[in-house]
Amino acid sequence: MMHGTPHALKKGIGFGLKHAAYLAIAFIFVLPLWWAIVSSLRPNTEVFADIFPFTAKALIPSPFSLEAYQGVFDRGFGLIIANTMFVAIVTMIGGLIVNGMAGFAFAVFDFKSKNAILTLIIISFMLPFEAIALPLYTVTLQLGWLDNVAALIVPSVANGLAVFLFYQFFKEVPKDYLEAAKLDGASWFDVLVRIYVPLSIPTCISAGLLLFVFQWEAFLWPLLAMPSQQFKVIQVGMAAFQQQYQTIWNQLFAVSVITALIPIALLLPLQRYYVQGLASAGIKG
Amino acid sequence: MVRSKTPLFLLAVLLAPALVGLVVFRLYPIALAVSDSFFNMLRGNQVFVGLDNYVALFTDSAFWKSLQVTLWFNLLINPIQIALALGLALLYVQKFKGVAFYRVLFLIPIGVSLPTAVIIWRIMLSPDGLANGVLNIAGIPGQPWLTSESLALYSIIAIATWKGISYWMIFIIGGLQNISPEIYDAARIDGARAWQRLIFITIPLLKPTLLFVLVADVSINFLLFAPIFMITQGGPADSTNVLMYEAFKSGFIFGDMGRAMSIIVVVVAILLVIVGLQFRLLNGKPEKK
Repeated sequence: MMHGTPHALKKGIGFGLKHAAYLAIAFIFVLPLWWAIVSSLRPNTEVFADIFPFTAKALIPSPFSLEAYQGVFDRGFGLIIANTMFVAIVTMIGGLIVNGMAGFAFAVFDFKSKNAILTLIIISFMLPFEAIALPLYTVTLQLGWLDNVAALIVPSVANGLAVFLFYQFFKEVPKDYLEAAKLDGASWFDVLVRIYVPLSIPTCISAGLLLFVFQWEAFLWPLLAMPSQQFKVIQVGMAAFQQQYQTIWNQLFAVSVITALIPIALLLPLQRYYVQGLASAGIKG
Repeated sequence: MVRSKTPLFLLAVLLAPALVGLVVFRLYPIALAVSDSFFNMLRGNQVFVGLDNYVALFTDSAFWKSLQVTLWFNLLINPIQIALALGLALLYVQKFKGVAFYRVLFLIPIGVSLPTAVIIWRIMLSPDGLANGVLNIAGIPGQPWLTSESLALYSIIAIATWKGISYWMIFIIGGLQNISPEIYDAARIDGARAWQRLIFITIPLLKPTLLFVLVADVSINFLLFAPIFMITQGGPADSTNVLMYEAFKSGFIFGDMGRAMSIIVVVVAILLVIVGLQFRLLNGKPEKK
């Protein structure tokens, strides 16, 4: 029969249009990073080749060269990456313990003005860090922590959003587990470590990613808290690099690519947890 | 219930680190900003000057110009980001073969920090950059994206939007997944078209999520700093000099912490008023969140 054909054709056009639209949007998201990767793999003199007039060759790394990456590490960028890793990982571990304990306390126990404190915590994560960065500088002066790594780590450990994620998760754990363990004579520490922590691994991943990414992306605060820049973290190091080596384009791109690819490599396999963590905060918040 | 046997000591141990951290590094700085805004440094001493910093601010045309830039910037960037994030979220939740591939690509800017995005875009938008190269194919002459008074603010909006909408999309996806599919089925049976379903079902049911995103997005954009610091430093001709940058400049370039703190207090106060208004207007009735 013939009347199947127009339908199939219409479906085919719809299919094509849909993919064209998705591809166009995805292209806008991917293009800057792609161009950065390509340009970081070219010699510096070739970065702007093939753009005027623009040809598709601008989007492949040819001629190919790894000199930019070598140059970046010669300028000490490896140390900056290690510094940032240290700050981010210590914050993440400390944050998981501190915020996990608080979330557990809010979920399991009843106490006076619990809801008021919880509301305050939720409000605390709605106010962006930038709002308090300048006065926090004064706090850091008072503590004598200026140019000390503690100034980067300690203020970021307690995190309202992470407390809230743990609270939300622990609230849903059936109380029977807890009652049974207590009847068996388990201590609170045992209950927390043997029952609640193993159950909460997905929440730990969500909250851990949030804490890690927060530190990895921190810019204004390390800029203010470390004025002598003896200890550089990645975003500030990158911005300084940009000011200092304005026209070493391929190295600027190499720095950007490294800075972006490390969190992307972490987020892509774990995106489910990150998305869930943020999305549940949005719904309940 | 566990209530009867709440061990108070344990409770204190569990809560103290987080609460002390939040009080010392979140609440105390806010109080400090307010109190510091009443002081000035005079020959190395902090001197109480009452409302002088505020009076000086409100009679300073640089402040008003900066406030104007901040408000205009926010009036544009927030609706743009939320509309695009909603559109992107609607595309993200579609189900068809191959959508998983696009989903990963939509999430890419989340991994790219704002300073990274700024560096890449700054080179892309440079006179010899990729943007002008692509426009050149269409015969459009190159534009001074970041160095012209009339374009710089909009280029910053574009960069921040590219970086931001994937992040806001995630929250909206969470909201979309909370809407039960039966409502859509019923509407489809009643003959509602796609745009009708969007306007009469999706958006009203998504209101709590959209309100959250709006409040969070406005808060971030009101205090946006990195792109201005890295690209324009408030220029050209103060066209991108938002209040957050003005505060930074006062405190850390001109060493006038009193002025910096009073600007921060004013910015946060304006922000709170805007957020309050958003709750009032969009929640229908004034109720607690």
